[in-house]
Amino acid sequence: MKTILKNGRILDPSTNMDVVGHVIIEDEAIAEIGSDVEIEEDADQIIDCQGLWICPGLVDLHAHLREPGEDHKETIVSGTQAAAAGGFTTVCCMPNTTPPLDSPSLIDFLFDRAASPEAGGVFVAPVGALTKRGEPDRLTDLAALKRAGIVAASDEGAPIQSARTMIRAMEFCRQLDLPIMAHCEDEDLSLGGCMNEGSVSALLGLKGIPRSAEEIMVARNCLLSLQTGCRLHIMRVSTWHSVEIIRQAKYLGADVTCETNPQYFTLNEEMMQNFDPHFKTTPPLRSQIDIDILLQALADGTIDAIASDHSPHANYEVQVPFEEAPYGMATLETSLATALTALVHKGVLAPLELIRKLSTNPAQLLGLDAGTLQPFETPVAQITVIDPDLEWTFDVSKTFSKGKNTPYHGTQFKGKAMMAICGSEIYRDAKFDLKRLQVPAPA
Amino acid sequence: MNRSLLTIRHLDADTIHEMIDLAASFRTAIMRGETLRPKDPKVIGLLFFESSTRTRVSFEQATSYLGYRFTNFSSSGSSMSKGETLKDTILTLRSERLDGVVMRHRASGAPFLAHQLFDGHVVNAGDGEHEHPTQALGDALTVLSHLKSIQGLNVAIVGDVLHSRVARSNAWLFHKLGADVRLIGPRTLMPTHGGLLPGRIFHDLEPGIEDADVVMCLRLQKERMQDGLMTSTKEYRKMYQVNQETLRWARPGALVMHPGPLNRGVELDDFAADGPQSMILQQVENGIYVRMAALHWIFAQPQAKKAAKATEPPAEKTSKKKSSAGAKA
Repeated sequence: MKTILKNGRILDPSTNMDVVGHVIIEDEAIAEIGSDVEIEEDADQIIDCQGLWICPGLVDLHAHLREPGEDHKETIVSGTQAAAAGGFTTVCCMPNTTPPLDSPSLIDFLFDRAASPEAGGVFVAPVGALTKRGEPDRLTDLAALKRAGIVAASDEGAPIQSARTMIRAMEFCRQLDLPIMAHCEDEDLSLGGCMNEGSVSALLGLKGIPRSAEEIMVARNCLLSLQTGCRLHIMRVSTWHSVEIIRQAKYLGADVTCETNPQYFTLNEEMMQNFDPHFKTTPPLRSQIDIDILLQALADGTIDAIASDHSPHANYEVQVPFEEAPYGMATLETSLATALTALVHKGVLAPLELIRKLSTNPAQLLGLDAGTLQPFETPVAQITVIDPDLEWTFDVSKTFSKGKNTPYHGTQFKGKAMMAICGSEIYRDAKFDLKRLQVPAPA
Repeated sequence: MNRSLLTIRHLDADTIHEMIDLAASFRTAIMRGETLRPKDPKVIGLLFFESSTRTRVSFEQATSYLGYRFTNFSSSGSSMSKGETLKDTILTLRSERLDGVVMRHRASGAPFLAHQLFDGHVVNAGDGEHEHPTQALGDALTVLSHLKSIQGLNVAIVGDVLHSRVARSNAWLFHKLGADVRLIGPRTLMPTHGGLLPGRIFHDLEPGIEDADVVMCLRLQKERMQDGLMTSTKEYRKMYQVNQETLRWARPGALVMHPGPLNRGVELDDFAADGPQSMILQQVENGIYVRMAALHWIFAQPQAKKAAKATEPPAEKTSKKKSSAGAKA
């Protein structure tokens, strides 16, 4: 089987390649790329990519697929379908399921489900739980989880409050060469809060979560990473002080990376004024000054990656008073479009830099076989084809995710994933122009 | 959407005046012993998800005086205690053919959800720490029974502003009608970023109530001391109590108000509570007339020029411009 992606703009951050050319996929792997590749007409399929970007498949560092235990919100099948439709070819799933991903058998279960024919065809990279459910100071069997295939360990959903426990977790993870993906929240400070503490929470009479609830833990985790040498990835950076703390930690030589999520650089607390629970996230949406600094930090590289933080919920769980609603929004199918619209089309990031934050950096920081278009670098070709200029309106009724909880319904976006390839084609968008497909007659 | 009264924040000054005038005319009618016989009597559900005897009784009285019928629904002993969601409760009551609901809920913003789901009219009878619009309307009617106009008055709101829906509704109302609003309380009981709330913030009582025409005390919940937000009631009394001494800083004859229930000896002393300046019992009575006005107003045809402002929370100006990705359509 041979597929040729012809005449696209090849964006490969792993080699800083940004040229118009062709990509040849042979037997599930990338065989050749570049502008001077000869196209033989013997391919099984030729796809005309003129005006489109050909990128390494996007890697989502941070999604909630909810299985096991909460399949009313999402399943591996629906979540991986949503991932493919959003342009992702690898999705890292968070461990705060029921039960949490704290034993090797659950990791096996995940891989099985992800490999089922109904699933989206993307790679699922599980993130293991750092601590056991209900036992905040007891670490899981991290070595066994690593053998089972986790790519990182995280305290997502159960942020480690005790610094002593975190040091021990970091020592174990350092030894196992396992990054820690940290959910930074001081639960003493965030207790009972449901939105950013600020002028809007004052207006609405909602209990605020101070910025320091995030920042204290960002600072603590950075310092502990410096002390232990453990690789640390900070999830969901939302405040400008967090950005400055991480900048300082990197300057001090900490092995720290971080991500933010499209909601934090496009939405703010002032949008909650009619108590719409679709805007409720943890950490909470902040203010315009945070957005300004996040954009700067994306541009200057302090923020390494953009992840979706896809957090699907059932409708009935969200149609409740604001303070009773669960945190998070379903974002797998809007993250790329949001980032394209708010970053590339606004001149914040060059196309190559956006793809670096959505693919190459996430793959490198977790050591995944992804994030590059170099021939035979990865055993299985992971490619996302993007139409950067397609203008479209997001309609939540057309999404693959079971979670319909999104504040972006009806939003106009510019840019969309047209095709996702994971060895072979796993997703083709309804708006993909079929005239681009050429299937040569059999010789 | 049907006309509802969810907040003072979303009302304009004309609408507030309209409701206060309506309340004053109901008061006159009832004082004369007139009986109201509406052509189209409404059925009102009183939904008190959080217990409140005073406000419920006030609404019951208002409903009866209007010639409407009411039916009570409290969360204990109902399907809510069996785990029914607010959404299903509201949808059920809609099918019970209620014309309107009066709703008290512990969660800020809950009436917004009810307003979306209930195909009828909603009056907010207090939501969490957000707003209590009929309390503020009653307080305004009380002030206007003694002073000609609210324009230019100095209105001091003293106490736990952070947790008070009464403070928020009153700050908006008196600000919209042209008063100078001052919010007075310790830093721990004051929003850290007051910016969007109307009113100047003071942490000391004396400069806050200086020359005040109206002094409103807020109730201090005992749990604030347990949470360490106030050191002790003794300290609060010394720093913020409205009493015979501290009232000397205000204008002579300043009106003293309290939404009740009182912590006598904490927020105010006997002089302030029972003396000639106390408006507390009038506030309770005027509460009935403004609730009549509110229940009447939600069913009245909006006057064309005011309709848009009065019924729907306007699209917030901030949500339009901030983001390229945009808010929910």
